[in-house]
Amino acid sequence: MTTSADIENMMARITLRDRDALALLYDATSAKLFGVCLRVLNNRSEAEDVLHDVYIRVWQKADTYAVTGHSPMTWLITVTRNMSIDRLRKRRPETGSDDAMALVADDGPGPEAAAIASSERARIEACMGELESDRADAVRAAYLEGETYKDLAARFDVPLNTIRTWLRRSLMKLKDCLTR
Amino acid sequence: MSESEDEHDDDALAAEYVLHLLDDDERRAFEARLAMDRELQVLVWSWEARLSSLSDTVEAVEPSKTLRNRVLQSVGEPPARRPAQAFWAWLAGGAVAAGLLLFVLFGETFGPEANLTVAFQAELASEDGSQVMVAGVIPATHEIVIERVSGTVPEGRVHELWLIAEGADAPVSLGLLENQGITRIRVPDDIAPGVRTGTIAVSEEPPGGSPSGAPTGPIVAAAQFNDV
Repeated sequence: MTTSADIENMMARITLRDRDALALLYDATSAKLFGVCLRVLNNRSEAEDVLHDVYIRVWQKADTYAVTGHSPMTWLITVTRNMSIDRLRKRRPETGSDDAMALVADDGPGPEAAAIASSERARIEACMGELESDRADAVRAAYLEGETYKDLAARFDVPLNTIRTWLRRSLMKLKDCLTR
Repeated sequence: MSESEDEHDDDALAAEYVLHLLDDDERRAFEARLAMDRELQVLVWSWEARLSSLSDTVEAVEPSKTLRNRVLQSVGEPPARRPAQAFWAWLAGGAVAAGLLLFVLFGETFGPEANLTVAFQAELASEDGSQVMVAGVIPATHEIVIERVSGTVPEGRVHELWLIAEGADAPVSLGLLENQGITRIRVPDDIAPGVRTGTIAVSEEPPGGSPSGAPTGPIVAAAQFNDV
């Protein structure tokens, strides 16, 4: 089982251009990060292109993650998600909703995710549970699928301003709950 | 708007930025502020950390077998060497070049023209902050001067300094650090051009330094140089 300390160590070695460490990191994290890419892009070939670029970014920028104070896994997921959404936005520039990407409700975690069941996870799930369910869905869709306000407004059939107000309030409630 | 409303608004903006919900104009404006505003940066990092747990529900999916090789091949390409001339641009000017020439001709003797000011600096700090070192580069003499500000070397171990030049495929040892105070290390001419844009790192090694020519022990700290 790969621990956070193991990944930290791999990242330090990658800073020193240790290709074996990159291979180890790839083996330890690629399936999870590919899941993140795939969730945003919903297209294997695009997701693989992005995942490739993620590891190149890691190779070049492994030394910068410590500045953020993130755990290595949080940093990797953040980089992966950002690069995936950049790709998504390029694919459909300002075109608003694309219903081919309809959200599959994700209240039930998969067996692998359930096994992880970290305390962090339990905390955010509990706090998401305090939001009204459609608002929690909106937060998830924005984070996991990279939906825009336009997408969300169309999905929930509410005006753009309303969805923005919803989401901002929900995020602040989420923050209050998580910092309680 | 009151200060607390400003803060509240920035926090919400940071969340929207992390979620990629800002439109192009808002995003550009936010990024311009982000580059200058450390507090805003901290708000962004906090949202990144907070929301990343949402990814725990994402199921892992194996990418195709060929992708691993593609990644490793991409990083395995030979480094693009910068032309040697770039080094001369790296120097501060003619007087410095004259000083360097004297150095080359007479070893340790410097001409009065030699410019021994530090041009680039880097702070090397370990993750837990227990080890702090400050490094400076004197371009004229190709020297890295590194001072131990806090922290000690474990009994029976030494610290070794490495350079990972931009695009390089392996770190190069620059030498061992004194266990206390200041160490001056002369960087070989052929790798000196890579110092400014590369990364330097300190690893913990057995006495005498790494036996393999590559770092073997834990990495204490790594950093890049900035202009003084």
